[in-house]
Amino acid sequence: MPALLEMKEIEKSFNGSPVLKKVNFSVEPGEVHALMGENGAGKSTLIKILTGIYPKDGGQIYWNGEPVSVEHRKDAASLGIGVIYQELSLIPTLTVMQNVMLGKEQSKFGFVNARKMKQKVAGLIEKYGFHVRADEVVETLTIAQRQTVEILKALSEESRLIIMDEPTASLSAKESDALFGIIEQLRRDGVSVIYISHRLEEVYRLSDRLTVLRDGVTEAVLAKEQIIPADVVRLMIGKELSEATASNNLRTSDAPVRLKVGNLCKKGVFHDISFEIHKGEIVGFAGLVGAGRTEVMRCIYGADPYDSGTVEFEGKPLAKQITKNIANGFGFVPEDRRNQGFTPLLSIEKNVALTNYDTLAAGGFVKAAAEKKLGVEMVGRLAIKPGDSQIPVGNLSGGNQQKAVLAKWLSRGLKLLIIDEPTAGIDIGAKDEIYKILENLAENGTSVIMVSSDLQELLRVSQRIVVMRKGEIFTEFASGRITQEDVLMAESGILTSGAKGGAPQGEAGTVAKEGGTNG
Amino acid sequence: MRQENMRRLISVASLVILALVFGFTSNGFFTATNILSILRECAITGIIAIGVSFVIITAGIDLSTGAIVGFVSMLCANLLYNYALPAGLVMFISVLAGTVCGVLNGFVVTKLRVPEFIATLSTQYLFRSLVFVFAIREMGVITNKKITDPGILIMGGSVNGVYLVTITFFALAVIGQVILKKTKLGTYIYATGANRKSADLSGINTDNVRWAVFIITGFLCGIASIFEIGRIGSATTDLGTGLEFEVIAAVVIGGCAFSGGRGDIFGTAVGAIFMAVLQNGILKYNLPTAAQLIIKGVVIVAMIVFDSVYNQYMQKRIHQKASEEAQAAGGEA
Repeated sequence: MPALLEMKEIEKSFNGSPVLKKVNFSVEPGEVHALMGENGAGKSTLIKILTGIYPKDGGQIYWNGEPVSVEHRKDAASLGIGVIYQELSLIPTLTVMQNVMLGKEQSKFGFVNARKMKQKVAGLIEKYGFHVRADEVVETLTIAQRQTVEILKALSEESRLIIMDEPTASLSAKESDALFGIIEQLRRDGVSVIYISHRLEEVYRLSDRLTVLRDGVTEAVLAKEQIIPADVVRLMIGKELSEATASNNLRTSDAPVRLKVGNLCKKGVFHDISFEIHKGEIVGFAGLVGAGRTEVMRCIYGADPYDSGTVEFEGKPLAKQITKNIANGFGFVPEDRRNQGFTPLLSIEKNVALTNYDTLAAGGFVKAAAEKKLGVEMVGRLAIKPGDSQIPVGNLSGGNQQKAVLAKWLSRGLKLLIIDEPTAGIDIGAKDEIYKILENLAENGTSVIMVSSDLQELLRVSQRIVVMRKGEIFTEFASGRITQEDVLMAESGILTSGAKGGAPQGEAGTVAKEGGTNG
Repeated sequence: MRQENMRRLISVASLVILALVFGFTSNGFFTATNILSILRECAITGIIAIGVSFVIITAGIDLSTGAIVGFVSMLCANLLYNYALPAGLVMFISVLAGTVCGVLNGFVVTKLRVPEFIATLSTQYLFRSLVFVFAIREMGVITNKKITDPGILIMGGSVNGVYLVTITFFALAVIGQVILKKTKLGTYIYATGANRKSADLSGINTDNVRWAVFIITGFLCGIASIFEIGRIGSATTDLGTGLEFEVIAAVVIGGCAFSGGRGDIFGTAVGAIFMAVLQNGILKYNLPTAAQLIIKGVVIVAMIVFDSVYNQYMQKRIHQKASEEAQAAGGEA
């Protein structure tokens, strides 16, 4: 019997740099196939080629053994490939039934046959034992329920293959369990699933096979009995690389404490977050998507409210107001650079000035000369290119945009900088420059909190690394040299010998055991 | 669905409360004549508001409805006065003219890709200019002439005291609600407004949907114009000025959100009646014009604030429900 899906020697380059180099990937009928790899390994590019969002440069896709061409999303849909998008793709004000049947309503003279459609959707819900009702309005559903609506949508199109990309990122443990039950049910029904996740324990539990991509190459295809956590991590990172990019000597600074967070809680998001940041330290925050890192940082900065706990800045309780925090020497570089970091239509000069009008304006009037001077100074200091402070930030390259965002804060006497994914979408050369800027800042006494999903970056820049997992601080690496493997395992709840911080929390032991029994 | 019913109950309740306040504090509010007259006053706004609700649910806006009514009414009066065409034919032409205006609006929005606000702000001037093209002149001077054609004046009349325009409004509102809730077009209108990208991905031609709602609005403006002439028996050049905002106020009070995807014609009908009750009640107080306008403005803002507070409250309850479920899950695990 031919494989349901076979992708052979798929190639793809962006601007001349190859992202996929003759990748092979296949899915059998009724199989749950995990697709794993580090950020940038080529997973999402491969999926986008499969679903007709990107054209491929080379290779061939076979469906049930027949060569097929997938040029549009609808080509994929008509083959029977369904994709579970995040909750974004549903219409919140329509019912479950209306959403599932959207665009393929059963109707006569324009009048929809609500009863027939409801029967069909209710039938699917019953068959798979989902916990939603066909006539519920989507906006009243929880995220997990919305996800089941997405799955229903795919099932109603008779999909033979359903792609799930980080489906548990925003689900609770129980909700995830429910999802795994659904996946089991799909498998029994002969529906195949491509499961993309960074969560190792889910992958062991669910997958029949696992493909590891690394740097655009199929690194390994593992059968169920070969899936062993430590091996998978090693395959994802690559042994040589892992050792070559080990961390600096991690250390706890003895400089005075600048920020002290105690038992910070926000219901349903994170709990019992406690840590200290010293003067002139760079502390990395590692964790998977949905671990709660960004949420913690936003609360500390004053952008979101929290339920309980304390945040002290230089020994004094921190204000919950962004304006006051900025005046006290806080800086915040958000993850979503384009929407939250800068104002694209305004010049570099104006963007830099935005956080500095306390000194750049008098009586409501902007001091144009001072504003210009500061802009020119910052462009020079951070080597922003092109070196013209009048250019709108939206027209700069990613790296230079990030420098412009940093310039907003560096122009002030900064005591604490929180930076979220500092180099996402930035090319390698510019990454180095950004790291130098951060290191320079720390040398001059600024404390830096760096949230990052890039392991190499965490190891290279951080003096300590805090690992968050499922809304808690899982562990902290504060001494010795550690490798990417140590961090990646910790993110998945497995403690290696590298971890020296505190007693292991949570279910570290159980997960390790689970991995053991699988292997 | 329960949430929707709750919202409906609240808007009807606020209408009843408003009516009761006026009933107890002024003379002659709760008389049959006055109630019938309120239902007549709300009808023109209400008929147009049905179409504008569609537009607003698709996350659009139509600022040209007042001008369309001005143009079509003048066209209608002109054809009757200058050419003495049969009333039936004139009515047909009027509705057609209104529809063509809607087609043009939709064309500018979907084909020329001009945002709804700017598009209808511009076409409004075009339609208003047509008022002057068709204005009835005597010796070259625009003159306000009485229309005496009995066929059209019937439209201003009533059956057993209930005005024809009121009956038409309610009938159209029912049809509008059915379109919204029972047809594909209705589902697509919600989908387009709530999440256009996703609607596109589901294979819905959202441009056609957006065009259709403008055409429906133009059509309804044409119908409203016939009743306008039937009632007044003449057309002035400033007829319909500011009407678009009365209409939008009614739609928004009725619970349609500017962000799209939310609201229905039941709410809009309540909103239109609410506006007419407010207008009628305030007049009974014999207050100075300034005070009347202030009250009107304050009540509209209060209604909108209430709506947004209510929506936030409901949103919060959903979040609460979600985090409670998450907690329950934590407890069991």
